[in-house]
Amino acid sequence: MVFMWGEVLEITSRSVMISLSATLLAASWSILASYALTRSKTASKYVMPVLQSLVGIPTVLIGLLLYTILSRSGPLGFLSLLYTPNAIILGESILITPLLITYIYGSLKASLDTYGELAYVLGGDKLGIASLVIRESTPQLFSSIIIAFSRAMGELGIALMVGGNIKGLTRVMTTAIALEVSKGEFELAIALGAILVLITISVAVIVNLIKKWWER
Amino acid sequence: MFLAILLLLLGLIYPIAYYVKSNNGEIRIVATTTTSLYVTGLLDKLAEEFKEEHPNVIIDFVPVGSGEALRRAANGDACMVFVHAPSLERVYVDRGVIVNGTIFAYNYFVIAGPSNDPAGIKGFSSAVEGFKRIYVAGERGQALFVSRGDLSGTHVREWILWRKAGLNPNGTKWYIEAGAGMGKTLLIANEKNAYVLTDISTFTKFKLEGRLPNLEILVAGGDELINIYSAYLVRSCDGIKAEVAKEILEFVGTDFQEIIKIFGSDEFGSPLFNPVSGNEKYLAMRWEELSNE
Repeated sequence: MVFMWGEVLEITSRSVMISLSATLLAASWSILASYALTRSKTASKYVMPVLQSLVGIPTVLIGLLLYTILSRSGPLGFLSLLYTPNAIILGESILITPLLITYIYGSLKASLDTYGELAYVLGGDKLGIASLVIRESTPQLFSSIIIAFSRAMGELGIALMVGGNIKGLTRVMTTAIALEVSKGEFELAIALGAILVLITISVAVIVNLIKKWWER
Repeated sequence: MFLAILLLLLGLIYPIAYYVKSNNGEIRIVATTTTSLYVTGLLDKLAEEFKEEHPNVIIDFVPVGSGEALRRAANGDACMVFVHAPSLERVYVDRGVIVNGTIFAYNYFVIAGPSNDPAGIKGFSSAVEGFKRIYVAGERGQALFVSRGDLSGTHVREWILWRKAGLNPNGTKWYIEAGAGMGKTLLIANEKNAYVLTDISTFTKFKLEGRLPNLEILVAGGDELINIYSAYLVRSCDGIKAEVAKEILEFVGTDFQEIIKIFGSDEFGSPLFNPVSGNEKYLAMRWEELSNE
C-alpha cells in the first residue's frame, strides 16, 4: 500500500482548512464572550474557573457527546452533519473555546484596567470603549489564536468520532496518523506527524508576521 | 467588534463552500467497519471496483472497532456494516438492526507466541487445548498472554476460546489487557515474550517488516480459529441509499469474490482472505455456531 503524495497534500490542506475555520469561528465568539465576562464581576468569578478547567478536556469526550447529538438518532440528526468536515469544525471550535476565552479574557482585563477608565472619563461610549479595549489587546489575541490552532490541528478524538476518518472526505492528519499506526506503517505515521508539526510552526510564524505588521 | 465579525465571516468560508459543493448528486453510502479489515485495503478496493460500474456512488468507510461499528449502525449512522464478530452480529440481527447478512470472506486466527514456547503448544491442532496449556504455564509464572481487551472481533473470539477451555484468566497476573488495536497488541506481546491471539494478516505484515522478532505462529487452522467476515444492510437505511446498498451487498457476494481470491498476494506472497464460493453451507454453519457462543 503506497501512500500517494497527492493524498498527503489533500489530507494536509483539509486539516489546515478545518482547523483554521474552527479557530476563526471560535475566536470570533470568544472575543465577544470574553468582553462580556470582563463587564461582569460575578459572572467572571464563577465562569472563569470552570472554563480554565475545561481547557484540557479530553477531545474524545467532546467527540462522543457531539456524536450523540449529531447522530441520526440524536436531537440534531436531521442536519446530516455527521461524517462531514463541518462536524469536525464544530467540534474543534467547541474544544478550543475555553482555551481562547481564558487567554483573551486575561488580555482584555489587562487592557481594560489600563485604558478602560481613561476612555470612560474622556467620554467614550460603550461600543467605543469595547472596540478600543479589543484593539489594544490584539497582539495577545494573535498568540492565543496560534495556540488554539495548534490544539485544533493536533486533536484526534473529535475528528475520529464525528468525522469518521473517511478517505477523501473527513480524513485529517491526526486520523491518518492513527490509521497508519494501525497498519504498522510507523515510519509513514512519523513523517505525517513531522508535516503536522511543520505546518503548525509555519502558521505560528505567519501569524507572528501579521502581528508585527499590525503593531507597526 | 469589527474584528470579531471579520473572524466569523472568514471562518464560515470553508464550511459554506463545503456545504455548497456537497450537494452535487453523488450518492454516499456510509459503511462502518472494523479497523483490522479496513487496513488491509480490501474495502478501498471494493469502493474502487464498485465505482467503476456506478460512477456516482461513493462508499464512505468509517473504520472503528466491531462493537462501535454495530453500535453506530443501531443509531442509524451507517447504511452498511462489514464486521467479523458473529456473536456480536447476532445480537444486532436479533434486534432487527441489521439485515441481509452476507458472508463474503474468511480466514483464520492464529495463536502466536515466543519461539521457545514455554507452554509447549507448538503444532497443536486445537486452539482450546493450547489455551489450557497457556493457562497452566501462566499460573506457574512461565508464560504471559496479551489480550486485545477492546471488544473487537478478535477479542470476542479470545473470550470464546477461554470459555470453551472452561477457564477465566481475568484478574490473573500473567493476563495483560492491552486495550489496543491488533498491531499495538502484537508489539506488546513481542516486547514481553507473551502469547497472543491474532488475525493472520496483521501478524504476517508485522512479521515481514521485522517488527516481531520474538514471535512465531504456534497454532494455526482448524474450525475453532476460523474468522468469518460478513456484510449487512442496516435496516434504518432507506430510499435510494438502501437500493444501492443492496446492490453493493450483491456485488460483494458475486463479482468481488474474484478479487478476494487474489487480494494481498503481491504484498504477502499469498492471499489474505478466502472467497466463500463453494463453502457457503459450511461457513453458514460455522457462523451459526460462533454466533451462539
